[in-house]
Amino acid sequence: MDRRKFFKGVGLVAFAAIVAPTTSLKAVDFRATKPEAWAAEKSVDAIKALFGGTPTESDKISFKAPKLAENGGSIPITIKSKLDLETVALFQDANPRALSCVFTVPVDAIIDYDVRIKMRQTAFVTVVGKERGTGKLYSTKKEIDVSIGGCGG
Amino acid sequence: MGKAKIKAKNKKGITKVKAMFTSLMADTEQAKKTGVEPSYIRQVVATIDGKVVYEVSMSGFMSENPLLKFKTKSGKKGEKIVFTVTDNNGKTITAKKKIK
Repeated sequence: MDRRKFFKGVGLVAFAAIVAPTTSLKAVDFRATKPEAWAAEKSVDAIKALFGGTPTESDKISFKAPKLAENGGSIPITIKSKLDLETVALFQDANPRALSCVFTVPVDAIIDYDVRIKMRQTAFVTVVGKERGTGKLYSTKKEIDVSIGGCGG
Repeated sequence: MGKAKIKAKNKKGITKVKAMFTSLMADTEQAKKTGVEPSYIRQVVATIDGKVVYEVSMSGFMSENPLLKFKTKSGKKGEKIVFTVTDNNGKTITAKKKIK
């Protein structure tokens, strides 16, 4: 009987060792998981491919951008929101493909992201956020004038 | 893809991070026009003490030498922030910086 007990104990230890180390944080690679979103030409199609739904326009998510961008190669955009969002994505209609970047927001993070994007021509820029838990989609959009060739337009 | 410049500063419990990576950020169309191979960063991940604090997937329509700024509540003075950058060919570089 002693031997049987011994083996039972070993089995339990081995089982615990297999189950325990599964809590490591792993990054989500959106380029691998959602390839169709990166190939879409229009913002609307890209949003559908990435989030699987249509967002409602809301002032709870906002972004700052210049009204007139002199250099289309580098347009500073600051995304801000006080909502508890899970994913934030930036789309534009100016380039051959609509999706610019996707942020995965960690739990308890401050949403205050500053990025620079490229745009070929005047077009709408859309920012979409997905709320954690409820899965609701919020969006805002703005038109940005791009004057290629410089001289301030 | 090569160098990375990172600045991280902690003030009143909030860590402000600025990071710049050298990359052409040329997508297929632009690469054809200028006659170079397509090269762009596809993912940037930042971790402090093993915890992911910032994560972004990008396309080639970000500006050349992308500059990223963000704030986070985690991180203390002296801790290290580690950036992992992956480009379109699957090449990865890591860069470390102490938080001031």
